[in-house]
Amino acid sequence: MTPWNPGEDVIAVQRGPEPGGAGGAYRSFGETLRGLKTTFARVIEGTNTIQYPEEKVPVYPRFRGRHKLHRFEDTGLEKCVGCSLCAAACPSDCIRVVASENDPENRVSAGERYAAVYEINLSRCIFCGYCEIACPFDAITMGHDYEMSDYNRSDLIFTKEMLLAEPIDRTPLRNEGE
Amino acid sequence: MPRPEQKMVTFTLDGREVSAIENSMLVDGAKCVDVEIPVFCYDAKLGQPVGACRMCLVEVEGINKLQTACSTPIREGMVVNTESDRVKESQRAVVEFLLINHPLDCPVCDKGGECPLQDITFGWGGGTSRFIEPKRHFQKPLALSPLIAIDRERCILCYRCVRFSQEVSEDYQLILSERGAHSFVSTFDGHPYVAPFSANIVELCPVGALTSQAYRFRARPWDVEGSGSICTLCPAQCNVTLTVRDERVLRVLGRDHDEVDDGWLCDKGRFAYQAMHVGERITEPLLRDGGELRPVSWERALQSAISGLTKAAGRTGAVVGGETTNEEAFLLQRLMREGLDSPDLDSRPGGALALDLHRALADPALSATVVDIEFAHAVLVLDCEPVDDAPILDLRIRKGVRRKGVKLAVASSRPSSLDANATLSLRFAPGAGEALVAALDAALSGTGDVDGLAASAGADVDQVRELAALLSEAGEDVVVLWGERLAHGPRGDHAVRGLLNVASRLKLASADGAGLLEIPSGANGRGLRESGLLSNAGPGLGEPGREGRDTPAIGAALAAGDLTAVYLMHCDPVRDFQDRGLWNRALSKATTVVAHAGYLTEGLIEHATVIFPAEAYAEKEGTFTHPDGRIQRLRPAISHARGVRPEWQVLATICKAAGLEMTFHTVPMVFRALVDAVPFYADLTLDEIGGRGMRWQQTAAAANLPTASDRAPYQLTAPPAALTPNGSLRLGTYRSIWAGSEVAVSPALKFLIPHQQVELSPDDAKRIGVGHGDRVEVTYDGAAVNAQVTLRAAVPTGTVFLAEATDSQPANLLTNGEPRLVEVRPA
Repeated sequence: MTPWNPGEDVIAVQRGPEPGGAGGAYRSFGETLRGLKTTFARVIEGTNTIQYPEEKVPVYPRFRGRHKLHRFEDTGLEKCVGCSLCAAACPSDCIRVVASENDPENRVSAGERYAAVYEINLSRCIFCGYCEIACPFDAITMGHDYEMSDYNRSDLIFTKEMLLAEPIDRTPLRNEGE
Repeated sequence: MPRPEQKMVTFTLDGREVSAIENSMLVDGAKCVDVEIPVFCYDAKLGQPVGACRMCLVEVEGINKLQTACSTPIREGMVVNTESDRVKESQRAVVEFLLINHPLDCPVCDKGGECPLQDITFGWGGGTSRFIEPKRHFQKPLALSPLIAIDRERCILCYRCVRFSQEVSEDYQLILSERGAHSFVSTFDGHPYVAPFSANIVELCPVGALTSQAYRFRARPWDVEGSGSICTLCPAQCNVTLTVRDERVLRVLGRDHDEVDDGWLCDKGRFAYQAMHVGERITEPLLRDGGELRPVSWERALQSAISGLTKAAGRTGAVVGGETTNEEAFLLQRLMREGLDSPDLDSRPGGALALDLHRALADPALSATVVDIEFAHAVLVLDCEPVDDAPILDLRIRKGVRRKGVKLAVASSRPSSLDANATLSLRFAPGAGEALVAALDAALSGTGDVDGLAASAGADVDQVRELAALLSEAGEDVVVLWGERLAHGPRGDHAVRGLLNVASRLKLASADGAGLLEIPSGANGRGLRESGLLSNAGPGLGEPGREGRDTPAIGAALAAGDLTAVYLMHCDPVRDFQDRGLWNRALSKATTVVAHAGYLTEGLIEHATVIFPAEAYAEKEGTFTHPDGRIQRLRPAISHARGVRPEWQVLATICKAAGLEMTFHTVPMVFRALVDAVPFYADLTLDEIGGRGMRWQQTAAAANLPTASDRAPYQLTAPPAALTPNGSLRLGTYRSIWAGSEVAVSPALKFLIPHQQVELSPDDAKRIGVGHGDRVEVTYDGAAVNAQVTLRAAVPTGTVFLAEATDSQPANLLTNGEPRLVEVRPA
């Protein structure tokens, strides 16, 4: 009976050198030193820390921050007609719209219908910008403000008045080429 | 006509062999294999297709031009192509053409998201338009009626609404004005479109041209959830889908069920949902304290009710209105019979009917279904006005007459809205229904004094003979649609015996599509009787143990002091029943009046001791029984308004306090107990009832119905002669579809609240010396109703009609359920 020949299936195990000696010392610290080389190289560049909130990084124009609702500049009427398409597009279901009929004497929006209630729950919003894409009237856009932390969850439900109000300019916008 | 036999044929659709019903339309046939042919103007419910929109063009081999699939019947061996380039080109062209004048204001439009025009444009349209010229403009939105807004710019002239008005509801109000490109939907002279079924056109409209004023801008399809249930506002029990947003019902849509409602709804069913969310609704228990009703805690209200009722044990009555579910009825009858030892309970407002007759009427062989009306040879509408009593049956009768050639006969006291469709319409004196059926029985059998009986009925003897001839010669399928009113009053038994005689003479029991169909006074009238809410019958029309008093007798016993407490379930006798004076005395004499009510009505404000808030039908769980025996489920769509408790739990709590063992935790457990108690419901389970309902007559357990000991033909006794209007007038009453608290508190329906009017024939008005619109006083024995005259040429001379349950001056000031003569004089 011939012994079984494993043939091609043999896997040779590569073992490292025995620990100890100069080679052993290098193997212990060498890689650490290689990492530290990068660290020390940055040290000469000086500090890059931005002193937030005293200092802020300017955002790009397409940055998707807190939403804004818009009015027509000439008439002052709200652009939003309360069609609820933003609510339909919203993947995290954070927009609530309750529409109502315009009073021709005292218009809120240009069409027959307007949003009587427009709420965005910013604690749920994932800032995907689908609402902006869905809007047929460019009534809602993503602004640049990203500072929305609060002490209370319910304060993060932004109402129509809050979204329509001109936001406090606290986020610098990056200029072209910057 | 009896149902036509359906022959299956095979035809080729897009290269596939399809088998479909011969002569059905291609659009419907294509659905069998999930091929959707886009269509705007066609709806099977509307009857004959018109091919107005041209959206459904398909290629049929052997025909050179494209054919409209909605109006091309399927024939054997037909080869149809719906996907060829020619068809696609035409579909793109038609969409482009239909959008020429469409404003595309989808974001503002109420239909957005559930709009066939949007869907079809997206699915079959070309995506662009070459039309750059100005579109046509109309003033918008306009109110077509207080319920419907019309936006003519959006209209694509599919004719659906006009066809509905002309051919389905037959109110002939909507028309297409002008011609060609200038056409627009309107009413004659711009009158508001007010009709009992008007708002169906909102659901029919394939674009946003017709929108509901009440639902306008309330929500989008993705904001809402649909919840299937049934409407409990009348015996027709239409299947509905409730549109719910944020625990509020915002809209009611039809849930097509051929065997119940045919897909239509009346405006009351469609808009009275508003009554659930108004301030007038009672949402907390009320207790009379120092002469006034005050809100109290549930514990205190229950305690007062329990102590009041148990103190009066053995001397308590119960009167039940129509909106009670079978489960509540079952618990209430146990409470009364077992807990309080009081057999005095009734759900029929007009007095008891012999138990044997109840059993004879419930005989499955003798019961007609709603569909039978459509396919009968002849239909007799007897002593009822379908449009007021069960509106959706009115449309079914019209459909039968218009499309299936049903011969319609109307026998009623008051001129009926179906008279114009009827082959024969016959008038008899109010309250003389018994004499009329006796006369008809005599004419059918050929024996007996037809002339004398017809005279007793105040009817024309020739017409009675004609009616008998019409019914006996029309064919075997005859459906008699009769109102519970016929069986009211002390001689109700005799009237029903006459009716059963007529049924046996016409052999209604032997034909499949023939039978009797009763419209009860209450929405769940049939279910309440079968659940045991009758003075002389226990659950399942069984022996009651001890016979009690019926509704009028309960009133009399309360007034006389024989009964001291009364349980009013969903009814206000002062408002709803005959003889207001008696009920006022009865309730003021009673020491304890416990009521379940949704709204405060006059009798309750005046007399109730404890009022428990009633659930709205969208909050309720339970079962209802349709007049044709179909058990249907009522399913909760919204949670209870704050402060409202499930009524069956209230009843169960009182039962428990009265010493009954109550092991129910859920409504289905009560239903189980009900099924165990009613032998002919034995085969029913909630799962099988499901969303479509189930007729108990079709289960094997129907054989368990206790049989009547005596069978038709009965020996009839001579009916009393109709009163002779010798200078005075016969008083007839009717209850309008719009009478009721739900209509009165719904903002959208407020304009329809019925006011009292005195309907007089022109001859009588002339004799009395009054004209249309004059105020008159109708008096009987000191009591008077003061209202305006409405002249109606169709009202028989010698009769005056008053409305029941109006907000003021109701007819029951003068009535007591028996025929009466009244004096009318200028006020």
